[in-house]
Amino acid sequence: MTDDADSGEAAADGGETADRERTGDGLGAGLRRLSGRLLVALATAALLALLGVAAVVAPESSVGRLFGIVVSTSTLSATLRLSVPIVFAAIGGIFAEKSGVINIGLEGLLIISAFSAVYGADVTGSMLAGLLIGVLASTVLAAVFAVVCIEYRADQIIAGLAVWLIALGLAPFASQVVYGSPNTDSVGTLGTWTIPVLADIPLLGALFDAAPPVYLMFVTVAGAWYVLNRTAFGRWVRAAGENPRALDTAGVDVSRVRYAAVLISGVLSGIGGAALAFNIGQFTGNGPTMVNGKGFIAIVAYLFGNYNPVGALGSTMLFAGLDAVQLRLQTRQILGVPDSLVQTIPFVAVIVVLALVGRTRIPEAAGEHYESGEE
Amino acid sequence: MTDSGETGRTATDAVHLDGITKRFPGVVANDDVDLQVERGSVHALLGENGAGKTTLMNVLYGLYEPDEGRVVVDGTPRDFDSPRDAIDAGVGMIHQHFMLVDPMTVTENITLGNEPERWLGLSIDRERAREEVVDLSERYGFDVDPDARIEDVGVGVQQRVEILKALYRGADVLILDEPTAVLTPQEVRELFGVFEELTAQGKTIIFITHKLREAMTAADDITVLRAGKTVGTLGAADASRERLAELMVGREILLDVDRPAADPGETVLDVRDLTVEDTRGVRAVDDVSLSVREGEVFGIAGVDGNGQAELVEAIAGLREVDGGAISLGGWDATDASRRDRIDAGMAYVPEDRQESGLVMDFDLVSNGLLGSQHARPFAENGRIDWDAAREHAEEIVAEYDVRPANVDARAASLSGGNQQKFVVGREFARDPRLVVASHPTRGVDVGSTEFIHDRINDLRSDGRAVLLVSSKLDEVQSLSDRLAVIYEGSFVDVVDPDAVTEEQLGLLMAGEQPDADVSVGEVSQ
Ligand SMILES: Nc1ncnc2c1ncn2[C@@H]1O[C@H](COP(=O)(O)OP(=O)(O)O)[C@@H](O)[C@H]1O
Ligand SMILES: [Mg+2]
Repeated sequence: MTDDADSGEAAADGGETADRERTGDGLGAGLRRLSGRLLVALATAALLALLGVAAVVAPESSVGRLFGIVVSTSTLSATLRLSVPIVFAAIGGIFAEKSGVINIGLEGLLIISAFSAVYGADVTGSMLAGLLIGVLASTVLAAVFAVVCIEYRADQIIAGLAVWLIALGLAPFASQVVYGSPNTDSVGTLGTWTIPVLADIPLLGALFDAAPPVYLMFVTVAGAWYVLNRTAFGRWVRAAGENPRALDTAGVDVSRVRYAAVLISGVLSGIGGAALAFNIGQFTGNGPTMVNGKGFIAIVAYLFGNYNPVGALGSTMLFAGLDAVQLRLQTRQILGVPDSLVQTIPFVAVIVVLALVGRTRIPEAAGEHYESGEE
Repeated sequence: MTDSGETGRTATDAVHLDGITKRFPGVVANDDVDLQVERGSVHALLGENGAGKTTLMNVLYGLYEPDEGRVVVDGTPRDFDSPRDAIDAGVGMIHQHFMLVDPMTVTENITLGNEPERWLGLSIDRERAREEVVDLSERYGFDVDPDARIEDVGVGVQQRVEILKALYRGADVLILDEPTAVLTPQEVRELFGVFEELTAQGKTIIFITHKLREAMTAADDITVLRAGKTVGTLGAADASRERLAELMVGREILLDVDRPAADPGETVLDVRDLTVEDTRGVRAVDDVSLSVREGEVFGIAGVDGNGQAELVEAIAGLREVDGGAISLGGWDATDASRRDRIDAGMAYVPEDRQESGLVMDFDLVSNGLLGSQHARPFAENGRIDWDAAREHAEEIVAEYDVRPANVDARAASLSGGNQQKFVVGREFARDPRLVVASHPTRGVDVGSTEFIHDRINDLRSDGRAVLLVSSKLDEVQSLSDRLAVIYEGSFVDVVDPDAVTEEQLGLLMAGEQPDADVSVGEVSQ
């Protein structure tokens, strides 16, 4: 950082014109930014409507059957299940990045907690204890990441990749040592909590007949939004990522805020990883492990959601929904398209969405180290 | 809010800095400095760039711990470990570079770190925060919208938000580091009005400046620092510009220079009907024509943001032209590259030295090479002769008195004034036919300003053509042979700088024609 007193001088020199430009296109840019997201939402709705109309006209055509798959209780409940780890990781990522620390290691945090949770549950015989152990493991890894980035000024991207690679190697290795295979033994799955009456609503009933992590996910999204937008801590997190010096001179310790935010990303990713593993009851560690890119999709999800937890939930559900549809299309052979092509649907969607959204406002100081008192 | 207001007024000074010494590796930034500031007064801290003003105030604000000396606030010796301690003792500081969070609102910024809370800290009490901010700004007669976002308001308002931020934290002593550097003359006057309002309510103000006139207008007392030492404190009533300038620089300064009449030769730069659109597609420069001849300085005056920046960038080759033609000594340069323009003898001093004049992470050797990295004597067959480059940088540093005189220093480690001197030195050393200089003395101290002005005059008597853009009226007026006034992208008039008065220029800059005819006729001759 070349942030001495004098760079300020010139920044201020140029400030006036820059400001004028910014106010000039503030509204236009806002509209454009909105329209990207709106476009995706509208396109999704339009597509569903189109499918719906076709389905009513010709229920037995392949389009009609496609609609039957897309709009069904089981697709929705699969979407929710697939969303859980992504949403938890994404919200953790929001906290970290809003505070100025880009945590690209979410994938690694999910992996380490997925394994630790299963191992913990296996050893203690309690899934709750397993969850806590999973959360602990990913929080410890996040803490190491935080120390390396905040205390030792490591490059955040490289340190984040290291977190992923460490977890990617460590979890299957530990499984190999303990269970003699990259896949652990099964520890059983979580049951569902069914809310009477509500669970019988057609289609939306899936929302009320789900595993506990799904409910926790909704509570967490709401809670994260509240913390970020309504509490002093949330405001400090935002300030730490936008202009850490402003926060520092206001008397708040920037490093502490950043540590807290990164630890939160560890805790939340820990819950996500544990939920992922408990969903099928074991950890599988072949190749990219059972996490299989969900941590990276989480980053896309929060960027697409413009760092808003609710937005991240929405975009995750879009990707997860496509993934759920994709999985079911594979088993039904409706369109006569090869499986391998169908499998790419969610990823194609990610690319299209990113291209459409284009502008996400990244926190000004994200990725930059901050040293207090460096005038 | 803990605003102690009128309470606790005593006869003691609000601030007493006693024998402060602060060393940085290789530099003694403050050397046994004394400063006494009377309660309820406005005190100006005057000095050239690098004199140690900012360092001294950072000591008072707890950002630096002094190596020697005492900080006494309100008669009590203090030992500040951090700004937090200073704030608690009623000392607030508004830095040169504002410490605001752009996407947050005025209220959010003012209350940052001191948010009023409710529900046991589970929520910010936003209504109360807003009310407190409204109350505070009414009390001091500030006109700020508590709900506006910082990124949507101008620099003047941002500065007020900074002042309110300090007041909100209970500051009794307000330190402002070069507060006028970013303001228009109009805003400067308003700021000085704010000073009066604040001192009337018992606050004490210390403001840093290197502008003599401002110190004399706004301050009750003026303390002058030179090379880290206090050279004296005098009442503003006893001060004259000449006296202050001498104290600051340590020798006599000629504030007004007489120069020989112009003897213009052939036309070097000829701009015809130039039209340039800005990034938003708005016409920033609208059908401008001008010509600059050998041995002549052509000045452009105007309020910032009226198209000067775009005009200069188009001429320098940094911005695409949307209509019209630029010719350099008869050669059509309208669409020529930067390099071709440099090779054709154009030197360019950009408006923002850090953005486009220097690579902040490079040392001075590499920075001195910029723009000549492809040409002899510095490069041959794609290989750079670093010895020649070093020698070149050393020459610039010596001739332009760049401090510290170390060509291995990174550009970022120099103060703004010294960075500017280095850029000017590099550009003027190109042996140019045409120099395009945009705000060449912005942020530069009096001594260096005088020096740069002398160099511009040398260029002129050497028979080179100079195009000078500046928002400092006295600068363009004293240096130019012909002076164009730009307003909303067009020249309102071209005048004789010796005949025109400041009032007439003011009217022209607002896009109006003064009654008296000051025009020197055709816009381009
Ligand atoms: N953090 C720092 N580290 C090293 N040298 C510094 C630092 N801050 C200031 N200096 C040096 O101390 C001297 C005084 O600087 P400063 O107080 O910024 O001057 P002013 O505000 O009067 O322009 C300069 O030579 C500057 O290079
Ligand atoms: Mg300074």
